[in-house]
This record gives sequence, C-alpha cells and structure tokens, in this order.
Amino acid sequence: MPISRFLFFSSKHRFRQPLNLIRRFDLSKRTQSCSYTKSSRQSHRNPADYFLSPQETKASRSWSTYVIPAGGLLGLAGIATFVHYNDERRAVRKGQGENSGPNRVTGPIIGGPFTLIDTENRLVTEKNFLGNWILLYFGYTSSPDVGPEQVQMMAKAIDILDSKKNLKILPIFVTIDPQRDTPAHLRAYLKEFNSRIVGLTGPVGAIRQMAQEYRVFFKKVEEEGDDYLVESSHNMYLMNPSLEVVRCFGVEYTAEELAEEISKEMKKAST
Amino acid sequence: MAALEAYASRNADEVHTDVLLKARQACYKSRDAFYDCLEKESNKKPTEIASVGLLYPAECKALRAQFVNHCRASWVKHFDRLYCKNKRVTRLLDDGGETRR
Repeated sequence: MPISRFLFFSSKHRFRQPLNLIRRFDLSKRTQSCSYTKSSRQSHRNPADYFLSPQETKASRSWSTYVIPAGGLLGLAGIATFVHYNDERRAVRKGQGENSGPNRVTGPIIGGPFTLIDTENRLVTEKNFLGNWILLYFGYTSSPDVGPEQVQMMAKAIDILDSKKNLKILPIFVTIDPQRDTPAHLRAYLKEFNSRIVGLTGPVGAIRQMAQEYRVFFKKVEEEGDDYLVESSHNMYLMNPSLEVVRCFGVEYTAEELAEEISKEMKKAST
Repeated sequence: MAALEAYASRNADEVHTDVLLKARQACYKSRDAFYDCLEKESNKKPTEIASVGLLYPAECKALRAQFVNHCRASWVKHFDRLYCKNKRVTRLLDDGGETRR
C-alpha cells in the first residue's frame, strides 16, 4: 500500500514535472495573454474613448487622406497650366501662308529689316533690294574650306541661271566676321568668284541683329588673338522680291541642284 | 547710324591677302602634299608633334614647315583635326569593330 502510494506519489511527482514545465510555459503564455488582456482591459476601461478615437482618427484620417493627394494634384495642374501659358506667351507664331512641304520655311517668320554697309562703303538697307530675287549667304572670308566652297557654288548657280534659264537673281554675301572683313577686303574676296555678288558688312551689333532675324547661329572658335575661325550654320536663303524667305538650302546642294531648285521656285511664284 | 559711320571710316582699306584665292590655293596644295607624305610614310614611327594631337614622322618635317608657312594657324589646326577625324573613321570602318578603340 505505501509502495503504491509511493508509486502514486512518485508518478504524480513525475507527472508534475512535465506538468510543471507545461504550466511554466503555460504561465508564460498566460502572462503574455495576461498582458494582452491587461491592455485590452485598459482600453476597455475607457470604452468610449476606445470607440471614439479610432473613429475620430478614422474620420480625420479619411479627410486628410483625401485632401493631401487632391492638393498635390491641384498643385501639379496649376504648374502645368502655368508652364503651358508661359510657352504660349513665349512661342513665336508659325508663319501663315501657302508654304507647306519639305524645305519650306514653316516656322517662325525668318527675315527682317537690316542696315549694313556694302563693299563700296555705302549704307544699304533691305529696301535697296526690293523687287529682286535674292540668294542670301552668311559667311566669312577666313573660312578654310566650307566658306569658299559655298560661295563658289553660289557663283556657279548664278551663272547657270543667267545663261541657261535667263533668270536674274541677286546674290548677297553677309559676313559674320565684320571685324576682319572690311569692305575693301570683301570686294577683293568676292570679285574672284563673281563680280555680281554683293558683299555686306557693318558693325558687330548690326550684323548680330540681322543674324538673329534670319536665325543664323555664329560663334568665334579657336581664338588665338587675331586668328580665329567662326562656326556658323551654313544656310543659303532664297528670298522673293518682297523679301520674304521662301526656302533655305544647306551645304548638301551642288550648284546644278541649287540652280534647278531656284528656277522651280521662281517659276512657281510667277505663275 | 553713328556706329555705322564709325565702322566705315575705320580700317577701310585693309585687305587680308592670305585668304584670297591664290593664297588659298597655295595652302591647299601644301596641305595635300603634307598629308600625302603622311600617308606614304605611315609605316614609320611618328615622332614629331603637329598640332591637336596629330603626330607625324620626321621625314615629313620639311613639308610640314611649308604647310604651316602657307596657311594660317587656325586653318592648320582645322585641317589637322579634320585629318584625325577621317583617319579615325577609316580605321573604324577597316577594323569593322574588331579592335576596341
């Protein structure tokens, strides 16, 4: 009997150990749960607060979550409209007219009045050239290769138009290097190509203004004191007798192509 | 108006003869002679400095002197740069992208 009891005790003891362990684990869980319950009890202590605050925060949160993105969108829209308005204000209106197709000057209206000095040291304005078809080239005499080539091409095209098609066109060479290209120098330079080419120069301000009107880019590069090259956008402008720019030609044209295109333009305009 | 008149009175008679036709043709000729020499002697080691990074062998020294003499300094640099660019393009085309340059 005592053995059984002993056994019983021992068994109980033995069982208690794991039970104790389990209880210890259980206790820990329960403490955790206790803490949960404690917090819930705390929150439950103020049920009104508990129920109101999330609602309040929810209410205020819903309001603010809608306001901030909406405000951001409105701000972006405002910036976009401002930028658009600014662009509209700054944009140059496209030139109107029947000009359409490749190589047409369909952009901001190129051209404008100018006041320069020609090779005889006379003052000329654009009014002197009204009534003529004009081939306008912006270049400089100290160009190593492109300049002379272009002027040579211009001279040849003029000759072709003169002899074959009997069309009179006035070539004008405006220098973008007025500091070194004096009128006398221009005259000597252009005489070698074609005596009909009109050379125009002037003070730097007048040249710069004309270049801006005709959208010609030019910049001094490789400057070493007095010796420099001028980088420029090589474009030849064809203007009709009312001094509107009709077409522009780049460096890729040969003299024959140039003459061909010019005669086409002139025929089209006269019909 | 005043600026225009001032401009007209200043420097009215100066003619830079080194960009007129004859000078240009002399310059082109000496330039071609120099670059032909470069092509011919391309297997020799380039030891002399031309400009803007171009090197040339000592055999072409006399032609180089003539070239520099006949042309303006800015033109010399311009032509040298053009030559280097062409060389690079032909080298790319010949190699077909094999050498990593």
